[in-house]
Amino acid sequence: MAARNPGVQFDLEWISRVRVNTQAVLKRAQQIQGLKTPKKQWQAAWLLKAVTCIDLTTLAGDDTPSNVHRLCLKATQPVRQDLLKKMDMHDKGITTAAVCVYPSRVADAVMTLKAVNSSLPVASVATGFPAGQTPLETRLQEVRMAVADGAMEIDIVINRKLALTGYWEAMYDEIRQFRKACGDAHMKTILAVGELGTFTNVYKASMVAMMAGSDFIKTSTGKEAVNATYPVAIVMVRAIRDYYLRTGHKVGFKPAGGIRTAQESLVWLNLIKEELGNDWLCPHLFRLGASSLLADIERQLYHHVTGQYAAYHELPMA
Amino acid sequence: MAGSTDKAVFDIFLSMESGPAAASSTATAQAWLEHHSCSLGLFIDGKFVCPADRQTCSIADSKGGNVCSTVCAADDDVSQCASSAVSGYKAWSGMSCYARAKVLLRLVSLLGQHSKCVSELCDLCEASCSPASLVRLLQYYSSWAQLRDSLITNWTPLGVVVVVASDDCSFYSLMLKAVPALAMGNSVIIVPGRSTAPPALLLAQLFMGAGLPAGALNILTGSDMSLAVKVAQNSSISYMTYSGNKQDGIMLHKATAGIGIPVSISCIGATCPFIIFESADIDSAVDGVLEAAFKKKKEVHWVLYVQESVFKLVIPRLKQRIAGKKCVNLASDEDRILVDTAVQEAQQQGAELLQSCAAPPSGASYPPTVLCGGAPSSPFVVSPAPGPLLPVMTFRSNTEAVTLGNHSPHGLAASIWTEDLTLALETAKSLSVGSVWVNSHSVTDPGLPISGHKDSGTCTDGGQAGLYQFLRSSCTSSPPLPRSSPVSMDYTKFGIAASPVLIPDNTDAASAPKTYLQFVGGKACKSDSGCSVAVQAPGGGSVLAYCPDGGRKDVRNAVEAAIKVQPGWMKKSPTARAQSLYFLAKGLEAKRRDIAMSITSQLGLSMDDAEKEVDLSAARLSDWAAYCDKIQGETLPMPQSGTALSIPEALGVVGLVLPDKNPLLSMVTLLGAAIATGNAVVMVPSQKNPLPVLAFIQVLQSSDLPVGLVNVISGRRDQLTVALANHSVIKAIWYWGSAEGCQYLQHTCTSPLKTLRLFCQKENGGMNWTQSHPSLLEEMWRNAVQWKSVWIPTA
Repeated sequence: MAARNPGVQFDLEWISRVRVNTQAVLKRAQQIQGLKTPKKQWQAAWLLKAVTCIDLTTLAGDDTPSNVHRLCLKATQPVRQDLLKKMDMHDKGITTAAVCVYPSRVADAVMTLKAVNSSLPVASVATGFPAGQTPLETRLQEVRMAVADGAMEIDIVINRKLALTGYWEAMYDEIRQFRKACGDAHMKTILAVGELGTFTNVYKASMVAMMAGSDFIKTSTGKEAVNATYPVAIVMVRAIRDYYLRTGHKVGFKPAGGIRTAQESLVWLNLIKEELGNDWLCPHLFRLGASSLLADIERQLYHHVTGQYAAYHELPMA
Repeated sequence: MAGSTDKAVFDIFLSMESGPAAASSTATAQAWLEHHSCSLGLFIDGKFVCPADRQTCSIADSKGGNVCSTVCAADDDVSQCASSAVSGYKAWSGMSCYARAKVLLRLVSLLGQHSKCVSELCDLCEASCSPASLVRLLQYYSSWAQLRDSLITNWTPLGVVVVVASDDCSFYSLMLKAVPALAMGNSVIIVPGRSTAPPALLLAQLFMGAGLPAGALNILTGSDMSLAVKVAQNSSISYMTYSGNKQDGIMLHKATAGIGIPVSISCIGATCPFIIFESADIDSAVDGVLEAAFKKKKEVHWVLYVQESVFKLVIPRLKQRIAGKKCVNLASDEDRILVDTAVQEAQQQGAELLQSCAAPPSGASYPPTVLCGGAPSSPFVVSPAPGPLLPVMTFRSNTEAVTLGNHSPHGLAASIWTEDLTLALETAKSLSVGSVWVNSHSVTDPGLPISGHKDSGTCTDGGQAGLYQFLRSSCTSSPPLPRSSPVSMDYTKFGIAASPVLIPDNTDAASAPKTYLQFVGGKACKSDSGCSVAVQAPGGGSVLAYCPDGGRKDVRNAVEAAIKVQPGWMKKSPTARAQSLYFLAKGLEAKRRDIAMSITSQLGLSMDDAEKEVDLSAARLSDWAAYCDKIQGETLPMPQSGTALSIPEALGVVGLVLPDKNPLLSMVTLLGAAIATGNAVVMVPSQKNPLPVLAFIQVLQSSDLPVGLVNVISGRRDQLTVALANHSVIKAIWYWGSAEGCQYLQHTCTSPLKTLRLFCQKENGGMNWTQSHPSLLEEMWRNAVQWKSVWIPTA
């Protein structure tokens, strides 16, 4: 795996003058949505790429070891083997990028994956997910415990209060501490863009999160009213680009929440290709946080291979 | 391409390439062309006409393949077409507004049915126009067609209008003239360029299906501009308007001089500033400029101006965003040579290149290229090459950005990027261009008028303002120019007759004719040459007075004084301008007797009649004073969300060559229109009847108008006409004079373009100045302004 983002000293100058023009960003988003998506085997290849970038997620109050077990096994074999074989992709190690669960379910997931000899990383949300409204000490402790249970990736949420009131340095310090608590586990910082008010705030929060050493910045928890939208993604990937220009470190991007169809996943890949380039089109720098998306992608692949539209029950469930 | 179609999924999975673009089908358009045997005729009187043994002109697609051929119309076709257009005009203008609007709307639904054919044909011919934009255009103008008689009262259609496009003009620009002309009830003859000919013919066919009377829309195709000249020569044509490149426009303007029809021009190919302030959303601005500058078929050349403080942020982003952009197709191999030369020259002058990839060794394509380190004097900025090149320059302050943006002969459009509202609006106001796009670029909509300022055109297209070029106010009964064939004249010899000599004679001091002074830069003075000309008494014979024999230098001095104060006058509040005009009217009333005397002695009118004329003139000036704050722009409704403003602005310095008739009243009517809207004027009083205007100088002297705003130069009309025509600062000339003078002005005022309002004076008849018809004043002020549209995308 390539080098992680070590973060940099907090520098208010990087964000103080930033302006984001909402209408220009919306227009750019429209353009990107209007781009042609690939067809035929190009589409199949892109969809498989999307599969390898999925953080297959279950974040529900009724999660138990049994549905987490099912999820993990689906993550290790996301597409029916016979379909992969038709595309000559059966031996290319197609799995999702990770599974993503609540901290209490990390141990279950790690156990399942170990049992099937999979090296698939387990990601855990942490730090008072989704609202982040718990004391800093408990949030830090949550991170440490998830890591101790075997989580390789931690999805933290930022403290929206600090962002909305403009205490950027305080936010930087918090994220810095989370990063330290993560240790070797990769840290994805959830900005909860639906609650940040303006695109300018989204940009600033992205930049602060990267300065503090995030390996990924992530749009949303999936629990806010507004989730991953293309305009907000454009603002975030521009911040990623700027951070790369300034420091030479590549930070990953993870849209999450509301991504359900294969077509949407193709638009997301197009967006990343257009805005950041092919370098970012890999699980190391791009993730899709999703749960039902995988089923739709598998159906599209089924159609590509067989020319038929599958009934849902024809494809194994998660 | 066999290799690419069986590419393995795994290889694509690794490379993440997008795959081949689906080849766009052109089957429907091809089928339509084949239905016409790939050779399209002329469209006359509602049907395709293919006269035998005409030359043809073949139309090629982007890869050089033959699309179809069109007929080159001959003289017979032109006259047949013109007579069809006349009967078409009768039928079309005789219909009700509702019926005309319905035809336009029916075409909308036909376009919906055949949008595939239209868009494919536009693609094939590279006429760049989407059916959706045509639909919007038709819908917009169908509503104006419907409401013409309710909202535009006292205006009538012109008759037969010719719309001409050059080869490189887009189909949309062409239709932006043709549709409003039709909507107002004119019949239209389109003389399309090469690429716009097939779509124009297709649309004409669809128009017939929509119920347009035969002859209301005819299409004549040819091989070059000479066809348009031939059409203009036909006596049934009332007006000609052109859209396209500057050279063809000038050629058309010169070739139609003296024919007796007004010709207006909208130029493409302007150089436009793209200004990024430090307060901008830099990333969006960079995306914007790359999109604007490296379009395949662009009608303008952009120059990027970046505030020095953010230059170091913009350049790396440009470099990053330009990477991986594909080469842009050029029009021809010749263009490639021009681009190569321009780039080499730029490099020799130390310009640094940012390119998406290395230029292919040959062929008609070139990678998007940013040229850093240029200056306004660099050749690649002054005369940009026809390719994807973008010069970048820096500026220090907001005012410098405006100065740099305005320092160009062109005035078509500008794109400005800032999040600072005050700065955005101030800059939009200060740029002398027709369209300002704030935090956006190239936004077009038929509701948003496009108007070329400075050398970029002489008319407004689109919006309500764009309708008036196709209308005549009902107070002008006859067309201003009589139809005639151009006289053969030597343009270099016009107006250079030597000054008539005055020799002392034996008149005694008491009866010696009075000597008048002219008015330049706020001073009553003699002419620069010191010479005078005699003014004849009514009926001829005796010398009534002497007036200065003004010339080139007097005009130069007057223009210099005028341009100094005009911007300040324009920026004054309308109320302040109104006060000055009221004061001028009062001053005229105070000198009522003096001025009436001058009218009496000049025209031989009774004192009563003369005083009546003075009173009318004072009332007219008060009319204009009252108009000052009524002539206003508006916020336009647009389909996109945002704020669109349409603002009337002064032209600048206007030259007036005044009529012989009602010398005082006509002068205050024209003067009032010009200065109420913020212009400065250089007036030439009638050579025959100058005394009332020269007497008016005392009123001007006692007024509080800025010194130099109004100048009066007397003398020989032709000589002064030449002087006005050859001063580039003068943006418009309103001329009452001889047919030769009209022809001279049409031939001469092309570089830079001047807006001309020409009236050939007749002994009797002509404009009735004493009427106070509302459309008289409306026509005057509409002639005195140019429109600017400002677009600000907001939620």
